[in-house]
Amino acid sequence: MDIAIKDGKIVRKVEEKRAEVVDASGMIVMPGGVDIHCHIAGAEVNSGRLLRPEDHVKDVEAKTALTRSGVGYSIPSTFTTGYRYSRMGYTTVMNPSMPPLEARHTHEELDDTPMVDKATYPLLGDWWFVLEHLRDGLIEECAAHVAWMMSATKGYAIKIVNPGGLEAWGFGRNVESLDDPVPYFNITPREILRGLCKVNKLLNLPHTIHVHTNNLGKPGNYLTALETMKRVEDLAEGNQPAIHITHCQFSAFKGSDWRTMSSGAEEIAKYVNHHNHVTLDMGQVIFTDTTTMTADGPFQYGLYNLTGNKWVNHDVETETSSGIVPFRYKRKSAVHATQWSIGLELALLIKDPWKIYMTTDHPNGGPFTAYPKIIAWLMSQVARKKTLSKISKRARQRSLLPSIDRELSFYEVAVVTRAGQAKALGLKQKGHLGVGADADVAVYNVNPEQVDPSKKYKTVRKAFKRAAYTIKGGEIVVKDGQIVRPVFGKTFWIDVKTSLPMEVNADLKRKFREYWTVEYENYPIPNRFLHVPAPIPVKAEV
Amino acid sequence: MTVVTGVTCPVCGTFCDDIELVVKDNVITDVRKACAMGAAKFLNYAAHRNLKPLVRKNGELVETSMDEVVERAAKILADANYPILYGWSNTSCEAIRVGLELAEEVGGVIDNTSTVCHGPSILSVQDVGIASCTLGQLRHRADLIFYWASNPWSAHPRHIERYTTFSEGRFQKSAWKGYLSSLRGVLSIKRLQRAANLVLRRDVFAAPKIERRLPYTMFQKKRKMVVVDVRKTRTAEAADYFLQVEPNKDYELLQAFRMLIRDEELDVDEVAGVPVEILEEVADVMVGCELGVFFFGVGLTMSEGKLRNVDAALSLTRDLNQRTKFLIMPMRGHFNVTGANVVFTWQTGYPYAIDFSHGYPRYNPGETSVIDILCRDEADAGLIVASDPVAHFPRMAAQNLVKNPLIAIDPEVTPTTLMADVVFPSAFVGIEAEGTAYRMDHVPLPLKKIVGPPKTCLPDEEILQRILHKVRKLRGSQN
Amino acid sequence: MPVEAECISPDVFAEKSADEIAMLQIWEGNRKRTLSDLFKIKHGAGSSSEKFTIRICGDVSKVRKIGAKMSMGSIIVEGDAGMHLGEEMNGGVVTVTGNADSWTGSMMKNGTIKVKGNAGDYIGASYRGSTQGMSGGEIIIHGDAGYEVGCFMRKGLIKVYGDVGRFAGIHMRNGTIFIQGNSEGRAGAQMIDGKVVVCGHIPSVLPTFIIDDTRPKVKVNGEEVEGPFYLFIGDLAEEGSGKLFVSKAKNQHLSFYEKYL
Repeated sequence: MDIAIKDGKIVRKVEEKRAEVVDASGMIVMPGGVDIHCHIAGAEVNSGRLLRPEDHVKDVEAKTALTRSGVGYSIPSTFTTGYRYSRMGYTTVMNPSMPPLEARHTHEELDDTPMVDKATYPLLGDWWFVLEHLRDGLIEECAAHVAWMMSATKGYAIKIVNPGGLEAWGFGRNVESLDDPVPYFNITPREILRGLCKVNKLLNLPHTIHVHTNNLGKPGNYLTALETMKRVEDLAEGNQPAIHITHCQFSAFKGSDWRTMSSGAEEIAKYVNHHNHVTLDMGQVIFTDTTTMTADGPFQYGLYNLTGNKWVNHDVETETSSGIVPFRYKRKSAVHATQWSIGLELALLIKDPWKIYMTTDHPNGGPFTAYPKIIAWLMSQVARKKTLSKISKRARQRSLLPSIDRELSFYEVAVVTRAGQAKALGLKQKGHLGVGADADVAVYNVNPEQVDPSKKYKTVRKAFKRAAYTIKGGEIVVKDGQIVRPVFGKTFWIDVKTSLPMEVNADLKRKFREYWTVEYENYPIPNRFLHVPAPIPVKAEV
Repeated sequence: MTVVTGVTCPVCGTFCDDIELVVKDNVITDVRKACAMGAAKFLNYAAHRNLKPLVRKNGELVETSMDEVVERAAKILADANYPILYGWSNTSCEAIRVGLELAEEVGGVIDNTSTVCHGPSILSVQDVGIASCTLGQLRHRADLIFYWASNPWSAHPRHIERYTTFSEGRFQKSAWKGYLSSLRGVLSIKRLQRAANLVLRRDVFAAPKIERRLPYTMFQKKRKMVVVDVRKTRTAEAADYFLQVEPNKDYELLQAFRMLIRDEELDVDEVAGVPVEILEEVADVMVGCELGVFFFGVGLTMSEGKLRNVDAALSLTRDLNQRTKFLIMPMRGHFNVTGANVVFTWQTGYPYAIDFSHGYPRYNPGETSVIDILCRDEADAGLIVASDPVAHFPRMAAQNLVKNPLIAIDPEVTPTTLMADVVFPSAFVGIEAEGTAYRMDHVPLPLKKIVGPPKTCLPDEEILQRILHKVRKLRGSQN
Repeated sequence: MPVEAECISPDVFAEKSADEIAMLQIWEGNRKRTLSDLFKIKHGAGSSSEKFTIRICGDVSKVRKIGAKMSMGSIIVEGDAGMHLGEEMNGGVVTVTGNADSWTGSMMKNGTIKVKGNAGDYIGASYRGSTQGMSGGEIIIHGDAGYEVGCFMRKGLIKVYGDVGRFAGIHMRNGTIFIQGNSEGRAGAQMIDGKVVVCGHIPSVLPTFIIDDTRPKVKVNGEEVEGPFYLFIGDLAEEGSGKLFVSKAKNQHLSFYEKYL
């Protein structure tokens, strides 16, 4: 089967005589990789980079004639991030946490991230305007303001992290459950989730609300994850998803404390198997020294207390918070090994690959360069067994993995690493190789007809580590895992058209100085600020 | 005549973006809302400027063409074996990005003004982390504000009224009225003192002695400001409490506080010249607040102990979070130094003192920092952008800087441009050129172009692009 | 111009001929050069790998990373050595007849470094941001040393016969630092465990240390050092239980602590 590309798109056919031919025989061809959740740009990520010179010094990339220099390991510098994704055949990445006040920073960094198309999600779950409007039951007002924010920050989706908890963290507190009211605001996390879910529908945003649940990282929190999913079940339309639970592994702990902590993946998988309004991504853990960074300020402070490692905190006025703590996942730790098992259990027990996607919540679970390793685990029980034999005995005894013999096929891997993610994001031209799709293609040097991934997982891993070819927008940018043509991708953002923009502008203008310490006119980012803007117009119901 | 609103002031880290300028015929005629420093910059920026590209011929600086300065500069950098590229704090992020690309291309060392200012703070953050926030969080919530080794009244004049003690927040009211009434009281006492001294013809009232007990205002439910410094500054006079610390003893004081806030007792009776009973009361106030903040300045980073002073302050803040909510922020001084750190970090992983001589970024302040390199006389060429090291560096460093080929990109005539071999006249970022810059709390803001620059003065970004382009051409022909 | 010559190590030289050694790559500023560009290389009488000795004569005060990562053999520098001497070394002996610079023996795991002259700052320290300082081996400095000796040290022994600058033993996790001369102050700052011994004068002890005892002598690496010493425990700000020994005789001004015993 041949694929024809012209002017950056996949077309039905081209004149072969004048075309450049890429012979992919004996190799597997997939759409370019799509990563729905990886922290690669912005204030939080950059503070992490600054925090860890000792992490960079062990992983450097020298300048070449075509590429800029840079560093890794767990939080690579921007150029290195783009190159490393591209070398693995990825062509679209989503930065999931953008504090709206510092959106400019996120976009400056995304503009310096080459090779891939990108977008970013503004953090809105604790924004004062959201909390106040939802408290007062003003869903449409809320939606209009969220639309303004999406345009002002050039964002792609509504990101919610520990709803209510971040505002409570402003004074050093947190919320303990979905019905725990947020201090001073008289609203509960449940109301925030439901309100923003409704707002998302009213605005017709291509992606659902993207949620990092309350109680993340706490033993017993799988119940919170289930609650979170149940609470918006009635808001779903037909078979369309209404919520995306991100890095679900961190929210799938059973038990009452660290000693009794175990996997809640089975219960979550059972729920997801019977409901169509949810999508998830794994948040897989790798045994390595990495850096945790999330907008969940109180959770990150908790990690500092647990580990004693250096801790960065950054609360953002009126909007959100964040925290960074270096973290080492140890094979012999019962808790960490259980976490490793949970991620894989979720991916294997949830039957429909269109509902659960592969991520590590980079860099929280591990750097994205570990993706090939995870693919090997997903495709090969032998690979899983090998790692299982090296982990903590207690975790191995509790793990469900020995009883799971499902192995993902190449097709299913394509879904969980690109097609499914693109669909969940509503990116119609990504994640598939049909006519009209963007010409983002990855060719991996492994022959699905000859190689049995179950046995030859090492071959599979090697193939996915260095793409034989990466094609971006119709140009060959990577050959044999090397950058042959540096390019810069587009930044997608949702241009929501509402019917009452003037009123929202006036309302915000009036209140701006009261809420923020910057001027109204300096807050929104003009379209020309982005190097390659790609607005996606969407008409809202308000 | 037009009024431009929402102008971001390009002077200090307070980064007020509510400045209003009146512009007539491409000249700024009036400035509203800015402090004295901001007003001075907006009104007088063109007083001592460079208008023409210059090269040194036979010991004298002579006017020449843009092409020639670009050619000369590119040659100097392309030929150099260990050039330094320094400054960057007075220009936009866009220009800094080009600067990094240039440093990487020529295999040199790129460093910004953190190296003489809050570099030690960064080093400590890398060891212990930092619990911080954006300034609005403090305006809304902070009821205990410490200015430690920092004097915002002089260095960041609008800081207190925009973000801390005299600002209005959602959860905290301004302490302005309370300050005014206490000020009236203080002024009348001062008048009486002066009168008494004149009448009795001697100094009746000696230098202020340490108050034995904290004033009652420190226990009221309102915004409170505490200044810790070696001398009573203007800010200290406006504070609810002034804690005078012995010079070079901040480290001991901060470490002692770490124990006191845990209700542990010290063996000694005084620390840094302050009796422990007073320190215990201050510790109680710290623990009892709703949200406290430490702002600290060069008094910590450049006195004995340097980065370890900041280490202790960061650790104290972190420890306080066990009891209450406490945050800390360095008072960044120079315009876009925060932006320089931010851009350096995202492109290279490191915030300053970056050595590209091996083809990839390497970082080791003390070894790769510009002052140290110059004092050891290791550099063989220099490019200075948006800074004036000849005026500010230690003499040995400045001497070694000027004896090598020196390129300066600056809108003004400065000691550095007077000693340079190649001088580029540039536009003033934030007035004649737009761009992005970062506030001390890492909030990025746009800089406007208010008036047009003289034709011969290009923005830094463009000058650097031209030099980079030329360097690539020269190296291409060498290979 | 700074020169980096990580290749100057017995591990690298051991199985090579003089010509091969001459072609080894070093950096001079941003230029790649070979060892023979800056050094004259003479191959002496052959010896086994473990006893492989490199003798460097001349001013190498600008040459960095001599002996980095070496695990065997010995290096003798007849003159002054540059920064990062013996960095991350895992065995073998480095001797300097002149002075050494900063970051000597940083992140060292094993082996011995002997400096006859003075040394710079950050002896046996970690890299920025890391808590992994020296974790084994011995560094002996006959002259003075600079600031933050043994920063984030984990194990091993540092001996300074001269004076040290401030913050010796800062953030120490364990290990022993012995100072025969004076300390400029703040010794043992933020230490969690380990031992710092000051036989000379120290202007003050940090307020976060408490006096525990007086000891007639203290053991340093198996050898006994005559006191008497004041023994302080700290750094309590870090909830540390490190031991700071301070000479009684040279520090009469600290006698007021005795009332707490």
